[in-house]
Amino acid sequence: MTASIRFERVNIRGFRNIQSLDFEPAPRLNVISGDNGHGKTSVLEAIYAVSTSRSFRAERLAEAIQTGAEAAVVRVQVRDGDLGREQRIALEPSRRSVTMDGKRPAKLAIYATRTPVVVFHPGDLVLVSGPASDRRTLLDRLALFLDPTSGDHRLRYTRATRERQRALLERGTNASDLPAFETLMVQHGTRLQQARRESAEALGAELEPAFRKMAPSTLEFTTSFVPGGSESPEEFARELASRRGQDARRKTASFGPQRDELELLIDGRSARRHASQGQQRLLTLAMKAAELACVRAARRAHPVLLLDDFSSELDPTRTGAVYDFLEGSESQIFVTTTRSDLFPTPAVHSADRVDWTVCDGRLERG
Amino acid sequence: MLPERLNKVIHLLARLPGVGEKTAQRFALFLATEAGDVANHLGAELTTLLDHIRPCDRCGNLADYDGTAAICDVCRDTRRDSNLLCIVARVQDLLAVERSGAMRGRYFVLGKLLSPLDGIGPEELPLERMINRIREDKVTEVIVATPPSVDGEATALLVARELEPTGIAISRIASGVPHGGDLEFADQITLGRAIDGRKAIDG
Ligand SMILES: Nc1ncnc2c1ncn2[C@@H]1O[C@H](COP(=O)(O)OP(=O)(O)OP(=O)(O)O)[C@@H](O)[C@H]1O
Ligand SMILES: [Mg+2]
Ligand SMILES: [Zn+2]
Repeated sequence: MTASIRFERVNIRGFRNIQSLDFEPAPRLNVISGDNGHGKTSVLEAIYAVSTSRSFRAERLAEAIQTGAEAAVVRVQVRDGDLGREQRIALEPSRRSVTMDGKRPAKLAIYATRTPVVVFHPGDLVLVSGPASDRRTLLDRLALFLDPTSGDHRLRYTRATRERQRALLERGTNASDLPAFETLMVQHGTRLQQARRESAEALGAELEPAFRKMAPSTLEFTTSFVPGGSESPEEFARELASRRGQDARRKTASFGPQRDELELLIDGRSARRHASQGQQRLLTLAMKAAELACVRAARRAHPVLLLDDFSSELDPTRTGAVYDFLEGSESQIFVTTTRSDLFPTPAVHSADRVDWTVCDGRLERG
Repeated sequence: MLPERLNKVIHLLARLPGVGEKTAQRFALFLATEAGDVANHLGAELTTLLDHIRPCDRCGNLADYDGTAAICDVCRDTRRDSNLLCIVARVQDLLAVERSGAMRGRYFVLGKLLSPLDGIGPEELPLERMINRIREDKVTEVIVATPPSVDGEATALLVARELEPTGIAISRIASGVPHGGDLEFADQITLGRAIDGRKAIDG
């Protein structure tokens, strides 16, 4: 049985332009409309923050603390199948803390995968058109659901890599501490490499059918994961040792998962460079649909969907695809739009839908 | 608002670990108003503290200094197994391992962890002193109890490499201590288990 995740109550304080907000969302569909700059995205960002401890639009979540406020706090009541729980995030300028039912989680990775949410927003286009790092971030987020230790390995691998680079730059290719850092790079890098591959395989398996469902059948779409390192400790160690000179000269580590790429190919050519804008947009949607399917399978629960700025590109294919999600999904959905009339939703029972209006950081029914 | 002298005390107190500007102010006001005797005693003790307390000449733990030498209680304790040496990063870690009760040997305090990003390379670590100590005491087993952070692990690997030619048995405390956690804050049982469950280092 796949459980459904539902937010039953949301409380936001001191977050962007939201001074204080307390509401009980509808179980299925919440359509949040309002004029530009009134706080629609901020509501979704707050829900995303309390679920993942991150933001989908800002590098630093602390940016979201309301100007002049000391802290931002988001608190939610979550229903997860038969279970209920309270989650809370408090943001201060140089600190963020999360609690679940009043207790601090042993690991952030456990907290961040407890209440799965998948967000669709205009910035997602970088998944297709942007640099490889954006796709690695997606793979890493998925990997957390498949292997909760992968986040730890990534942080430790990154730190060991930076330490090795510094040792190389300052003391050359024979520095006596290089083997220590390279050992750690191998130890964590092989694990990260494996987590990325597994995550890419899971995503790829969902991505190709998702794209076929949305795009004209004449386009052939494939994905290919190109590892930057190796899952073999021997090979990884050998490469690091033999690339010291080159890595010192170029001031960058040339071998390892920091160079992983998830290639998206349309008719055999890089979608990033060759696909049209419309194709890129379709592909972005397919990526999100695949992410949703992977998270659902890994977590055995219907993630909550956050659809930001639905009307920003009035693209019929996109609209159609989003309707497909709505019809086919049992997820609780929050969608923001400047035009609520875009949302006739015959598939959703009217008791399960609430329309909200955001005005100046406040939310009202209707 | 406050006399300059008091502000100076506040600034100095605020440099202590874990003490912010507010707490420093509370301490300073307490000393200045309610606890003049504490202030005088504290002042007298602090003035001569560094004349009487030094890192132990042998292990780096804190010890009484008698004008010629400083040897700590652990190094003086003849019931200790001198063939067993535990290597730690800081005095706090030594105290944490002691609290666990699982260590019957002696210690060597490195003072810092390897961390090129913070400007600490191998030559900043007292590796030569460590090896001399091991030779003098005819140490046969070394336990590396640096914290489980990346820097702590790298330091353990470096120490293991330095000691490799000696053929001494080297082990690392087991990973009972949470990743990135501080030994200081690991509970006694966890740390005791980590020491009992130590494993050979394979670099
Ligand atoms: N830290 C902050 N403190 C106070 N206000 C902020 C902060 N960060 C952003 N804002 C303001 O919050 C308001 C709401 O922004 P938000 O992005 O949520 O609007 P929106 O309704 O999604 O707009 P749009 O339709 O243009 O996407 C904006 O006016 C923005 O300037
Ligand atoms: Mg917006
Ligand atoms: Zn001593």
